Amino acid sequence: MNLLICLETGLREIAAHKFRSFLSMLGIVMGVSSLIAMMALTAGIEKGTRAFMQQIGGLEFVSIQNKEISNALFEFWNLSPGRTLMDARALMAAVPNVSHVSPEMSHGALVASEFGSDRKGVRGVWPGHYVVARHELAAGRFITDVDGDQASRSAVIGDDIAKKLWPALSPTEVIGRTMTINQSPFVVVGVLVRYEREQDKRMRTILAAQNKQRAGQPMRGRGSGRGDPFRGKNESVFIPLSTMFYEFKSGLFPDDSVETVKLETLSFRVADLGAFRETLEQVRRTLDVTHRGVDDYDLETREEWFDRMEQSIAATRLSGGLIAVISLFVGAIGITNIMLASITERVREIGIRLAVGAKGRDIFMQILIESVSVAFIGGIFGVAAGGVLIQVLIIVAPTENVPVMTIGSVLFSVAFAIVAGIVSGIYPAMRASKLDPIEALRYE
Amino acid sequence: MSLVFLEDVKKSYRIGDQEIRALDGVSLRIEEGEFLAIIGPSGSGKSTLMHLLGCLDTPSSGRMEICGRDLSSATADMLADVRNRELGFVFQAFNLLPKLDVVRNIELPLIYSGISKNERRARAEEVARSVGLGERLANRPTQLSGGQCQRVAIGRALVNRPRILFGDEPTGNLDSSTGEMILEMFRQLNREGKTVVLVTHDPDVAAVTKRVIEIRDGRIRREYKP
Repeated sequence: MNLLICLETGLREIAAHKFRSFLSMLGIVMGVSSLIAMMALTAGIEKGTRAFMQQIGGLEFVSIQNKEISNALFEFWNLSPGRTLMDARALMAAVPNVSHVSPEMSHGALVASEFGSDRKGVRGVWPGHYVVARHELAAGRFITDVDGDQASRSAVIGDDIAKKLWPALSPTEVIGRTMTINQSPFVVVGVLVRYEREQDKRMRTILAAQNKQRAGQPMRGRGSGRGDPFRGKNESVFIPLSTMFYEFKSGLFPDDSVETVKLETLSFRVADLGAFRETLEQVRRTLDVTHRGVDDYDLETREEWFDRMEQSIAATRLSGGLIAVISLFVGAIGITNIMLASITERVREIGIRLAVGAKGRDIFMQILIESVSVAFIGGIFGVAAGGVLIQVLIIVAPTENVPVMTIGSVLFSVAFAIVAGIVSGIYPAMRASKLDPIEALRYE
Repeated sequence: MSLVFLEDVKKSYRIGDQEIRALDGVSLRIEEGEFLAIIGPSGSGKSTLMHLLGCLDTPSSGRMEICGRDLSSATADMLADVRNRELGFVFQAFNLLPKLDVVRNIELPLIYSGISKNERRARAEEVARSVGLGERLANRPTQLSGGQCQRVAIGRALVNRPRILFGDEPTGNLDSSTGEMILEMFRQLNREGKTVVLVTHDPDVAAVTKRVIEIRDGRIRREYKP
C-alpha cells in the first residue's frame, strides 16, 4: 500500500471527523505556536544583545588596564613609566594586527555655553578613538590628525551634552558654535549620534506617536537613568589629546612631556579576530618592552563578558524551548488518545482491510500517516497562531526586543510537530496492526 | 494438484483454562472449478473451517495447502498475501467500508497488491459493470439496497481475479428473491470456471451447489451431491 493512498485515507478520515480532528490538533497548534513564539522571543533578545555588543565596540575592543604590582616586585615599580603615549606608538608600530590605538587623557572640567553648563570628564583622544569605540556622528566630523598636530581647540560632544548646552538646537546647528571648557573656548566640530537601547528607542517612538504635540521634540533626560550602558557615550566631550595635555595637564605634571605623562585609558582594536590570541601575545611583548619588564598592566577583553551574554541567551533559549516542547508533548499525548479512540471505533474497518489482504504493516502505516497528517496540519495552524501570538506580544510589550520569526524556527517547529505525530501515532498504529482479522470482523 | 488440501487438520481454542476443539481431524480436497457448500449448525466448527480455508487463521495441527502453498504454520503476512491474491470473500453482512463509494470499495484489494491507481480504477469499474452496478459507481453503500451491496461485495471479491471465491452465508441478510439472484451470480461464476465455496446453514442454499460437506462436532459427518 503506497503512502499516497495512506495519505488520502488519512485526510479523508480527518475530514470525516472535523471536530474530533480539530480537538486532537489543538494541542499541537498550541505547542507549535508557543515554540514559534519562544524561538522568536529568544531570537529577538539575541539580536538586541548582538546589536548592543556591536555598539559597545564588539569583540575587537581590548583595553589595557593598570594592575597592582605584586609585593615581590615592589621595588621595581618605579622602573615602569606606566601607560603612556609611548605604549600607543609602540603598539601602532610593532603589532600589525592592531588597527587602531586609542590613548586617552581625561580631566574633570566645567563645560559651558551661553545656555547651560555642567561638570563633565573631558577626554583627550586620538582620531583612532572614533573607530575603537565605534562612534557614529550625527553631524560634523571627529577629531583628526591635523587637530592633534596643531593641538587645535576643537571638540566633539555627545548628544546629552549638546542638548544640555544648546537645548533648542539640532546637532547640525550646534556645529561651529563655541563652548568653553574651564573657560577656554573650543569650537564644536562634531556631535555624536544619540546612543540608546532598542527598548528606549521604541519607547521614545511610542511616546512620540501618543503625544502628537510633542512629537519631534527631543526626549531630554531619557537614557540617563541607572543601568543605561550608553550614558557614558552620550555624555562624552572629546578634544585632541595634544590639546588636552598642553591646556590642562602640563601645568599639573610640569616634569612630563606629552610622551611621558600617564594615560587614563589605553585601548586598541584588533583588525583580524582570527589571530586574536597571537595579537594579544604580541601586544604583551611590546608592552613588556615599554614597561621595562614590569608586570603592571592587564589586557581586558570582552570575551568573558560576551561569553556570559551568549550563555544567558542559550539559557533563555533552552528554558523557553523546554516549556514549548512540553506543551508539544502534551499535544502528542492528545493525538495518541484520540487515535486510540478512533481505532476502537474502526476495528471493523480494519478487519475488512485485513480480510481483503492488508498486511499488519499496511494498517500500521495507515494509522501512523493519519496521526502525522493531524500533527502536520496542526503544525501549520500552529505556525499561523504563532505569528499572531508574536504580534500580540509586540502589542502587549512594545518596548522589549522585537521578536524575530525566522524560516528556521518555522521549519524546526513543523518538523517537531511531525516528530510528535510519529511518536503519538506509533502506539495506536501498533495496536491496530496487531488486530486479529477474525476478531476484528466479528466486532460490532 | 488440488486447490485446497487439508489433512487431519485440528484447531483448538483456549477459553480460560478450558480447551475447545473446534475442528477435530478434518481432511478435505477441493479441485479447480468445484462448486461446494459447507453446511452445519452453529457451533459445529464450520466457521472455524471457513476461517482456515479463507486463510484468516492457521491450524493447530495437521497439513493445510491452499493454491499450492503450504500454510500449515504460515505467518500473518503470508496469509494476508494469499487472501489478497488467491481468495475472494463475500460476507453475510456485506462488510463494505461505508465512507467509500462503490468503485473505491471494489478496488480495495488492489490497493494492497500495489497496483497503480489508473489500473485499479479501470479494473474496479469493469468489475462493477460486470456485477450490474455500472450506474452506481459513485454511490456509497448507504445509498444502495442490500442486493446491490452484496453485488459490490462480490465485485470486490472478484477484482483481483482470485482462484477461490468464498461466500459466508451470502444470502443471510437478503430477502429470498434477492438471495436467489445472488446465488444465481455464484452459479454463473462457477459456470465460467471459478471455484466457489459457500458456507451456510441453509439447505436451500446448499442445494444449488454440486458438492455438500456437512460438519458436526468438528468433523466431516458426511459428504453428498445434492
